[in-house]
Amino acid sequence: MKKVIISLIMMFGIISSTSFAGTLVINTDTSDAAPKEAFEYIIKKFEEENPDVTVKWNVFDHEGYKQSIRNFLNTDPPDVANWYAGNRMLPFVRAGLFEDVSDIWKDSGWVDGNLSENMEHAKKSMTIGGKQWGIPYTYYQWGVYYRKDLFTANGISVPTTWDDFVAACATLKAAGITPITIGSKYLWTTAGVFDYLNLRTNGYEFHMDLTLGKVPYTDPKVQAVFDKWDELVKPGYFLENHAALSWQEALTPMVNGEAAMYVMGNFAVAPLKEAGLRDSNLGFFQFPEITPGIPMAEEAPTDTVHIPSKAKNKTDAKRFLIFMSRADVQEEINKILGQLPINKNSSVKKGDPFLAAGLNMLNNAYAMAQFYDRDAPAQMASEGMKGFQEYMSNPDRRQKILERLEKVRQRVYK
Amino acid sequence: MFPTPIHQRPIINQYIYKIFLPISLIIWLIPIFGILMTSIRGLGDITAGNMWGTPSEFLLFSNLYDVFTNTPMIKYTLNSFKVTIPTMLGAVALSCMTGFALARYKFKTNLIIFFIFIAGNFVPFQILMIPVRDLTFKVGLYNTITGLVLFHVAFQTGFCTLFMRNFIKALPQELIEAARMDGASEFKIFWKIILPLTRPAIAALCVLIFTFIWNDYFWATVLIQGDHAMPITAGLKSLNGQWITAYHLLSTGSIVAAIPPVIMFFLMQKHFIAGLTLGATKG
Repeated sequence: MKKVIISLIMMFGIISSTSFAGTLVINTDTSDAAPKEAFEYIIKKFEEENPDVTVKWNVFDHEGYKQSIRNFLNTDPPDVANWYAGNRMLPFVRAGLFEDVSDIWKDSGWVDGNLSENMEHAKKSMTIGGKQWGIPYTYYQWGVYYRKDLFTANGISVPTTWDDFVAACATLKAAGITPITIGSKYLWTTAGVFDYLNLRTNGYEFHMDLTLGKVPYTDPKVQAVFDKWDELVKPGYFLENHAALSWQEALTPMVNGEAAMYVMGNFAVAPLKEAGLRDSNLGFFQFPEITPGIPMAEEAPTDTVHIPSKAKNKTDAKRFLIFMSRADVQEEINKILGQLPINKNSSVKKGDPFLAAGLNMLNNAYAMAQFYDRDAPAQMASEGMKGFQEYMSNPDRRQKILERLEKVRQRVYK
Repeated sequence: MFPTPIHQRPIINQYIYKIFLPISLIIWLIPIFGILMTSIRGLGDITAGNMWGTPSEFLLFSNLYDVFTNTPMIKYTLNSFKVTIPTMLGAVALSCMTGFALARYKFKTNLIIFFIFIAGNFVPFQILMIPVRDLTFKVGLYNTITGLVLFHVAFQTGFCTLFMRNFIKALPQELIEAARMDGASEFKIFWKIILPLTRPAIAALCVLIFTFIWNDYFWATVLIQGDHAMPITAGLKSLNGQWITAYHLLSTGSIVAAIPPVIMFFLMQKHFIAGLTLGATKG
């Protein structure tokens, strides 16, 4: 009986290994139109360049993927899976589910030029424990989108320091314009503001320590962030009924000239332009400096590809990762996505000032934060963002909120 | 007669009725009007906050084009038919048989079985979510049209049985006895006597079940994960962009999704109204 079982297992092993030779299984969460098209394109290109490899591509629903990846990495691992940089990949790296791909980052012979050099600015967010665990292929910038015409009409120039920024808000408010629009109904928009205030007040390292749960929320440095936030919230520089609006609905006042700025990701540009704004009256600037001398880190949620450590075809998987890191490939992907390539040798669509500004800003960034809800664990992030929204509606409750978040931190990061 | 016809009421009540009927009708229809308007607009109008004003562009056809080309809407529609029609046939066929048995045969547990069927209607289906999902998963039907159809058939049969049993109960017993005297087998009685007589009830049930199942969203999202089996009601969400809620496309898609039940309703209007009251006449 035992022999039969063993031979069955062996037969199964042979069958499955032969069927996988030259087959590359890729799982992605690219269920939305543009990301799907981008992956269709690169998979076709990869197969053309590597005729000996057949790609089997499984598209998962964007939301459902967050659950499915936990399952399939253990039970039915593909050869390549997409995911996100930073602390988002930490649980998988810790559980030994992602393969160490530091060799791709080190070996300049793999790619055209030197990967480490071309992607140096993104290396920090791919590194855990001194090793790299994947290849980033797209990201987009966050920053302040503003109405150029409203700035000109009120004699405001683009602020680069915190004092200028607050002064600009005051001028706009006095002119009857809402300085900053925001829709906090779905909470996450508040985290964009918090992240930037923290990155600028305390720097990237502190922000990472906080999102990794190493620092209490009652820390004086966190208090300092809220002091800065107070300067915007207490005089009413944010849109008044923000808790009732989605991020999308909060675009309306900006389109209609009732609000001047929005701390947002680059995806806000497309709907704003569709609603009639042009390059002549819509602009972008980097979130201003708060504490002088702190290196400017930016918010740039990054999409990445990884090799599961239980993958069957790691050789071809590595070829695919190297392929994904190439400047020309990243250029094409991001043209389809309307986002930014990470490889410094890639260029972006000409004539789009927002992409150009973003590319320039991120290529020179000190480091990349991934956004609060990607950097912090899900439970902490959801409580944190609830707290931020509550604070923005009732700044007087700040102390209570921070104490509550501290309790959550102690529970979540046990 | 209850309710008293309106023209027999005091004159003042008639006036109040005449004023408030159109008002409530309009209030009732505003959301549908809003969806129709939104399906004409572009995203620009929506972002600019122009929700109820005149659309700046007439984009119905380009929205329709987007709905059908950007997403597997045709596949979703087909899936909806693949779920709805077998469910309708299955539930109606089963309930004709159970209805006949429960209405015409005297056996000890008759009433208990009938109550179990009725009780099924009173179970809030949200309670069943996790067990049903586990069950379909264990028998390997999770994420398949078959799984969804089987569940719908099982769940709808309760209501259909109540409906058919009451209808068959109301048929004159003499017809059946006459057939029996002539030596017809029990199956022949069911097939030749009962079924032709219940035709109006079957038609009404078919219309009702068609609309119920077509409009189902809950179970489609619980039991189906992938595009291959997703019906249109749940597939509508794929019209959203990665970042943006595409209200204009969602509205257009909703209208497309609503067309088959609406057509069904107008074609079978008589049966539909009959169906709503049929089961209620006799308990």
